[in-house]
Formats: sequence, structure tokens, C-alpha cells
Amino acid sequence: MDYVPHSQIPGHKSRQTGAVSLKGIKKQFNFKDRELKVLSEFSLDVQPGEFVSIVGPSGCGKSTLLRLIAGLDDTYDGTITLDGQRVAGTSLERGLVFQDHRLFPWMTLEDNIGLALTNRNIPKDAKAKLVADHIALVGLKGFEKAFPHQLSGGMAQRAAIARSLVNEPKVLLLDEPFGALDALTRVHLQTELQRIWLAQGSTMIMITHDVEEALYLGDRVVVMQANPGRITHTVDVNLPHPRDRASPVLHKLKDEILAELTHVPEPSNPVVRLIKGDDQ
Amino acid sequence: MKPDHLNLPPRLRGGRTAKRWEGQTLPASAPSVADKPRHLPRKQGRRISWKPILSIGSPLLLLIVWQAVTAFKLFPPEVLVSPTAVIAAFGEVITTGELQRHLSESLTRLAGGFTIGASLGLLFGLALALSKTVERLFGPTFQALRQVPVLAFIPMLILLLGIDEVFKIVIIAKAAFFPVALAAYDSVKGVPKSYFEVSSLYRAPWWVLISKILIPATVPNILAGVRLSLTRAWLVLVAAELIVADSGLGQMMEMGRQMFRLDIVMVGVIVAGVIGFALDRLFQLLQAHALRWKTA
Ligand SMILES: Nc1ncnc2c1ncn2[C@@H]1O[C@H](COP(=O)(O)OP(=O)(O)OP(=O)(O)O)[C@@H](O)[C@H]1O
Ligand SMILES: [Mg+2]
Repeated sequence: MDYVPHSQIPGHKSRQTGAVSLKGIKKQFNFKDRELKVLSEFSLDVQPGEFVSIVGPSGCGKSTLLRLIAGLDDTYDGTITLDGQRVAGTSLERGLVFQDHRLFPWMTLEDNIGLALTNRNIPKDAKAKLVADHIALVGLKGFEKAFPHQLSGGMAQRAAIARSLVNEPKVLLLDEPFGALDALTRVHLQTELQRIWLAQGSTMIMITHDVEEALYLGDRVVVMQANPGRITHTVDVNLPHPRDRASPVLHKLKDEILAELTHVPEPSNPVVRLIKGDDQ
Repeated sequence: MKPDHLNLPPRLRGGRTAKRWEGQTLPASAPSVADKPRHLPRKQGRRISWKPILSIGSPLLLLIVWQAVTAFKLFPPEVLVSPTAVIAAFGEVITTGELQRHLSESLTRLAGGFTIGASLGLLFGLALALSKTVERLFGPTFQALRQVPVLAFIPMLILLLGIDEVFKIVIIAKAAFFPVALAAYDSVKGVPKSYFEVSSLYRAPWWVLISKILIPATVPNILAGVRLSLTRAWLVLVAAELIVADSGLGQMMEMGRQMFRLDIVMVGVIVAGVIGFALDRLFQLLQAHALRWKTA
């Protein structure tokens, strides 16, 4: 794989931990006496500190996949490991941002973020500092005492990102984190997320419906198809971060992925590596 | 109630302008929640001063109609007494101490019966929601029994318990039990799965799950049930005292009726209404307190 390791990308804090490995994941739901195959033979290796974007049609099992990695659902076949350790249940090492912000409406912003620290055995003032630092990190200083209904959609989503980052997870899973936002807010939050990723160096796996977003942020874009959910393409995006949105390489890759997503894939050729764009 | 935005500092009034967060942090001069009181002084317009007049309008109208009807003698005075006669009777039962005695009897009963009924209702509702076994054992019985009006139990309870204090306490407790049990059951069952998921994701300890998530999520609805149960219990109590009692507000009214003192009956009607209204308002305030984040 001729893909540039993160240690070589300028500005990226290199990490030795945060390798996620998915091997032969099979997941099915029993729905009205029928077995619904949601994921079939899903395998993916994510390097420490890598940013992987996942795109795919609605219902192909993307959210299900993230829930399995997060440990919210333990009923599946196959193995999921983080740094060689099999995942079991939830852990503070694996953070998850849901599509909806899921802040508790009766808690202030700082209490919502503080909730993520209730299982940490650290002094109170250290917790308060972590909360304040992460509120500043997502640019919400001054809103510590605001309730979620007093925040705009974009602000609430940033608060949710701050909450998921406060434990400095080795891997952050993002399920369409900007899906409900307007185009302008999305662009800003993408830049923010990239800045945070470069600063923290954690592994990120992000689901999105937006191919442009997937390419702008991802070191790799994984394309899925439905029934059952599986990987049909993997696209390496060999450009340094932060990227130029207008890059012709991104545009070329976008056209290819869109063509793939709007096409019925050939089952005989499940994994096709698309050509990687030359640097600049 | 006022719309939220009246109380909000300008930066918190929602909207999704991208400009607001272009910088990493807000400019130091920006008004923020931290350096501004959350409750800005409300601008009181002239309109607000009309509100009290509006809300006393309907009782006032009722009083005028009542006075007019008695003044024109549409009904014989033994049947419909005039407001002035009722005011006089009020003075009478207060100076003799009769009203205070009956009222304190009734309120003591209410406190006893309501406390027992509401606490048992809360415990039962929680158990029903949290345990599949309890739900399977008692669920159908509970759903059927709560459909039976409390007053329908009175004849049977009189046979079983007589007409002593125990009977009255049981009947109030029964009236208070069901609304609280139902509210507790529904609100615990109604806690979204996503709340548990977030709690599990951050591995929040169980006491955090209970105190910071489950209680705030369920208490407002449970309080609504408690409020309903309190006013129900009061209604049932007065009704039960009308039927069988040797003391209490209902009994005072029943004695008045038997002695053709309809002015005293009217005093009872008014006091029962005012007490019920006051109890309801008290719980409304408690409820608003539990949900104060909504209007913050
Ligand atoms: N708890 C469940 N019980 C039964 N079926 C489920 C359950 N959760 C998900 N599914 C099914 O699994 C499939 C994949 O769902 P999932 O939410 O993972 O899709 P997705 O790729 O995230 O879609 P979207 O892009 O629309 O969010 C769907 O067909 C859905 O109906
Ligand atoms: Mg989804």
C-alpha cells in the first residue's frame, strides 16, 4: 500500500495506538420472523491516527457497524480489535458521536460534557479544566451555562463532539455528525474537525452521506453497498492535510465514487481499488 | 407564560448564522451566559397589568349573576341563598371555629391518605416499570382496577371497614394511588433508549445514571401524576365526607343541608373549590421548578 503514513503528514501528531481491526464481521437482525442480513464478511484495518470515511447508501449498515465498534451491540460474528485487544462492551477508549447530538436537555453544556467524566478517577478541578479546555477546543467558550435548547444545531453538534473528545479516546467514531446541518455550517465544522484531528492525533472513522466531505477529511474513503452491507471500493486519498477543497484530485475521485454509488456493483468483483491521485 | 426568547441574552436566541463561530473563541466583549444574568429584567408592558383583572373577571361575573338572580328572587331563598347571606354565614362559622375544626379534620385526612396512596403508587409504578415479573403478575389487574371509579368502592368499603377514620384514609389513598402509579410507570417506560446508550458509552456509574439521567427524565411527568392525584384525593375526600362522616368539610355541608342552612353549604362549596385550586397551584409551581431549565 503506497499510502503516506501519518507521521509524514506535516502537523499531524503521530500516535502509536488506535489501530482498529475488523475481521469477517457478520451482523443480522431478526425482523418479523425474518433474518435481515445487515453486514456480511465486513473486514477493515484502520491504522493508528488514520482518518477513514465511510460512504454508502441508506440502510447499508453503517450505523450498525459503528455501534458494534463502540460496543453498544455485542451480538455479531467476527472479531473487532483495538490495538490487538478484542473489544467488549463500551469503553472510554472508543468515543462515538451520534447523528443527533444526544445532549441531555436538562443539563447545561458543561454538565453535559462533565457527564462523560463521571467514570474517571481524577480530582474535581482536573475534570473542570478538561471540560473547559474542550469547550474552548470546539469554540463554545462563553456558553458553559447554556442549555441545549439555547444552542443552534451546529453549536449542539460541536458540544457533542467536545463531549466525545473529553476522554481523549484512541478512536473516535462519527455517525454523520454534520448530517443535519446546513451547507455553510458543515464546511466550517469540517475544518474544525480536521483541526482537532490534527491536534489530537486520534484515529477517526466517520460515516457521511456527503462524498465531498468524505474526500476532504479522509485518508481513505470506504464505499459500501447494501443487502448485505459490504465494502465494494476503497479509495486512498493521497493528499496532505489540511486540504484544498478545490483540488482537481478530489474532484476526480468524487466523480468516481459518485459513479460507483449510483451504479449497481458487479458481485464478482467486490473489492476494486481505484487509482490514487498523484500528490498535487 | 412568556416565549423563551424574551428572557434570553441575544447570543442565545438560536439561529444558525455561521459567522458566530468563525473564530475559535468568542471575542471577550461578546455578551455571554457567563457574564450576564440569565434572567434579564422583563419588560413589562401595559398589557401585563390587565392580566389579573382578566383572571378575576369570570368569578366576578359569576358573583354578579348570582347576586342578580337572588335579588330578582328567581328561586326561593331557601334554595338559592344570596352572596351576602353566604358572607354572613362565613363570618358565623369562622367565629364559632366550626370551619377551622372541620377544615383541619379534612386536611389531616387528606395528608394521611394522600401520603400513603401516593408513596405506594410511586413504589408500585416504579416496580411495574422496572420488573418484568411484577408487570406480568400485577399489570392486568392494575390496568383493570384503575378503570373503576373510586366512589364505586364506597359501599363495599363501608361494609368492610365501617365508616371510621380507616375507611376515609383508604378511600383517599385509593384515589391518590392510581394517578401516581400510572405516571411513574409511563414515565420510566418512556425513558428513551438513547439516554441509556449515552450513559453506557461514557460508562457512567449507576448512581449517576439514576440521579443525573433517570430522575430528571422522569420527575416532571411523575409530578404531573402527583398533582392529579392530590386534586383527585381532595375531591373524593369531600364526596366521602358528604356521604359518611362525623366531621370534616363535607360533613359540615351535609349538616347544613339537613338543617336547611344552604348558606353554610355554599361556604363549604367555596372553601372546597379554593382549597382544591390552591393545592393544584402549589404542585404546578413545583412542576415548573422541576422543568425550570426549559424556560432558563
Ligand atoms: N434494532 C434493529 N432491529 C432490526 N433491524 C434493524 C435494527 N437496527 C437497524 N436495523 C436494520 O439494519 C439495516 C441497517 O441499518 P443502519 O442504521 O445501520 O443503516 P445506515 O447505513 O446507517 O443507514 P442510514 O445511512 O440511513 O443511516 C436497516 O435495514 C435497518 O432496518
Ligand atoms: Mg445511520
